[in-house]
Amino acid sequence: MAYKTKPARTDVVIIGAGASGAAAAKVLCEAGVKVVALEKGPWRKKESFGGDELANINRYNLWPDPILNPRTWRETADDDARSEMFCPVPQMVGGGTVHWQGWLPRFTENDFRLRTVAGDLPGTSLADWPITYDELEPYYLKVEWAFGVSGQPGANKFESRRSGGYPCPPMPISRYAQKFIKGCDALGWNAFPTPQAALSRPFNGRKATVVSAFAQQHGDPTGTRSSALNVFIPDAVATGNFELRPDCVVRELTLDSEGNIKAAIYQDADGDTIEQEADLFILACGAMETARLMLLSKSGRFPNGVANGSDMVGRNVTFHEYSAAVGTYDDPVYAWAGGGYVSASTFQHYEHDASRGFVSGGHIAVAGVGIPLPINWRMPGTPSWGAEAKKNDRDHFSHSLAIAMVLHDMPQHENRIDLDETVVDAWGLPVARVTLKPHRNDVDQGRYLIDRGADILEASGALTIRRVYADRVTGNCSHQHGTARMGDDGATSVLNRWCRAHEVENLYAVDGSPFPTGTGANPTLTIMANAWRVADKIIAERGAAV
Amino acid sequence: MSDTFFNPHQRATVEAAMARIIPTDDTPGAREAGCVDFVDRYLSGIGYIFAKPDGSGFEVLEGASAKAWMQRIEIMRERYVAGLLDLDARAHERFSADFVALAPQQQDDILHELEQAGTGAPRTLAVNDALAGPVSPQPALQQTSTEVDLDFLPLMVTHTRQGYYADPIYGGNRNRIGWEVIGFPGPASLKDVHIGRYTTLQYFAEGEADKVREFHDGL
Ligand SMILES: Cc1cc2nc3c(=O)[nH]c(=O)nc-3n(C[C@H](O)[C@H](O)[C@H](O)COP(=O)(O)OP(=O)(O)OC[C@H]3O[C@@H](n4cnc5c(N)ncnc54)[C@H](O)[C@@H]3O)c2cc1C
Repeated sequence: MAYKTKPARTDVVIIGAGASGAAAAKVLCEAGVKVVALEKGPWRKKESFGGDELANINRYNLWPDPILNPRTWRETADDDARSEMFCPVPQMVGGGTVHWQGWLPRFTENDFRLRTVAGDLPGTSLADWPITYDELEPYYLKVEWAFGVSGQPGANKFESRRSGGYPCPPMPISRYAQKFIKGCDALGWNAFPTPQAALSRPFNGRKATVVSAFAQQHGDPTGTRSSALNVFIPDAVATGNFELRPDCVVRELTLDSEGNIKAAIYQDADGDTIEQEADLFILACGAMETARLMLLSKSGRFPNGVANGSDMVGRNVTFHEYSAAVGTYDDPVYAWAGGGYVSASTFQHYEHDASRGFVSGGHIAVAGVGIPLPINWRMPGTPSWGAEAKKNDRDHFSHSLAIAMVLHDMPQHENRIDLDETVVDAWGLPVARVTLKPHRNDVDQGRYLIDRGADILEASGALTIRRVYADRVTGNCSHQHGTARMGDDGATSVLNRWCRAHEVENLYAVDGSPFPTGTGANPTLTIMANAWRVADKIIAERGAAV
Repeated sequence: MSDTFFNPHQRATVEAAMARIIPTDDTPGAREAGCVDFVDRYLSGIGYIFAKPDGSGFEVLEGASAKAWMQRIEIMRERYVAGLLDLDARAHERFSADFVALAPQQQDDILHELEQAGTGAPRTLAVNDALAGPVSPQPALQQTSTEVDLDFLPLMVTHTRQGYYADPIYGGNRNRIGWEVIGFPGPASLKDVHIGRYTTLQYFAEGEADKVREFHDGL
């Protein structure tokens, strides 16, 4: 639909209809608020998804096409940036949840106060969150129940207080999860079924999740895996208060004379430029793109980007890195079953422990190798072609698994997103440039966590063990945070504790950008819970009519 | 639109090289799986980029995405044309014959030579690099690939693996040969996944499938 004329002003504009934008839309619309969501990508229906590894993983069916959506990366400000698909996430309604498998652990109490727990770490900008676990806890539960998360309360003995259980019992146990549990048991470590955004049984009118080999990185044609696309979006639509405009790229936010946001300027599918006014604006583009949009929105009042008087927008970006120890076994573990991802976890090495010599720790979990096929994966340290490569594929396909870790990389002032004025995207806009150098702590923590994965492999009887240390943060985890920190001090943060810009009264951000630290766990449950919390606050403050 | 790109000599050379990349042993290799058909069709244009998810044919690409894909295909075509000339030049220099005419061991020698000459990348990737598989030069366990950035040999290795293991609808993995070799019980067709009839639950731990079978009629 082309808006040749100026569309009517609305209560709230949400920019980005991914995990966080969809969560906020649901909550606001259910309270009677009129919401327009502007989403860069298409609104795809489940019928457009399928079990096609080539299309989904190799050919940008769901990943952003780097020719249309480039990004650049450099290690330090002295280096030249080069094109790299750093930390890509699908750009379409549902965002990153379209092709995840959805591990949904909660953060722990100490995640919200790591600076206090661990003290100063030189070279980092480690900070406590302005909010506590207890403030977020009710919202964790709301998201878990909206999504129908499958899990076992209490099974993670390092988990912080819960005010309720999971709506669905854990997903079926895979053979590779059995190996993981066996290894943890032998070591005396706690293991638990990874909470999943999937239905172990029918829930809320939706069918139980069909477990297939095509899950992680594949969209779900059955609609049984839980995502923003098939949970929050339909909830918001059902209220009649929601207007979702796909294929609309927001280029800039403009200010009114008071210094509030006046409008979002976007380009629709026909290439027309449209101005959408609202009382309130919520950024939910993912931490990298939210920072980029803020930086693109320059004005006399904010020459360096909106709400960026502190020069903090884009800084302290954190990503996580995903790597693994890989093991092989005599007996088959069929690690391709379940799309590589129906699994078990441990938080045994999650909490900070000063005796290890580095700050914090991370989530360790068992995953399949391959996704599912050896197209995109092969046994580390083996040749890429020839008779031996073929033999490796054959021998390892059903007999190997990966014990992966989520690396809690530390925030640093110089690690940042800014604009690359030399590279533009398909809409002619300067792209996000990543400047990122790992801290010694990141490298040490990664080695430690991978070594613990190797311990589990050994204790579970693996025949061979290979460690793939992460010496560089590549953004391969697709987790992004920190570019618009929340905090009480406007000099060191961009947003206040309610994720409202210190400098702009009607501007919020609800994706990963407010996170002062990335923590050692998958972030999206917390991103959605926080978006829900912020939406509730907006309703409480302004009333349904805004 | 023709659905081939290579001329007969190029095609024979690619097929021969692929047959060294995934050789035939007591099980079929790239030749039997039709990997050359896979790549020939891929490079023919943009008619075979995305299969329809129900397996009923291929999507017609339009607009910006079509342009991006044509740009990518052009780059890869050039890389193949130049790479194949180089392969023959090396074959002539060392063995005074076209690459296709060489004995398998000689072909391996040429490919190894090419590999070392290429990016200077080691023959066996360091452990840190290998999780990227043959596709991405970056260590990355779960990230989209940018095959267009690869040199000729790694690009052809990638396409051989794709042709061997991707869904048969793309023209390779003929008679599901690749899947059979590694023991992958793939779906009967893309449609099976699309309608939710394909499950791997029976490969889970003992008894687990039974616990949830009641929720999945017909699986
Ligand atoms: C393969 C994969 C697996 C994952 N697995 C997990 C997991 O198991 N557990 C977990 O916790 N997390 C996982 N994640 C991460 C998760 O997807 C993200 O953390 C989450 O989607 C972030 O939510 P968001 O709302 O911040 O952004 P997104 O979900 O990325 O949504 C942002 C949206 O904004 C849109 N947008 C951007 N710029 C503009 C603009 N200028 N105008 C209009 N719209 C715009 C984008 O198109 C996009 O749809 C995974 C990600 C990937 C890619």
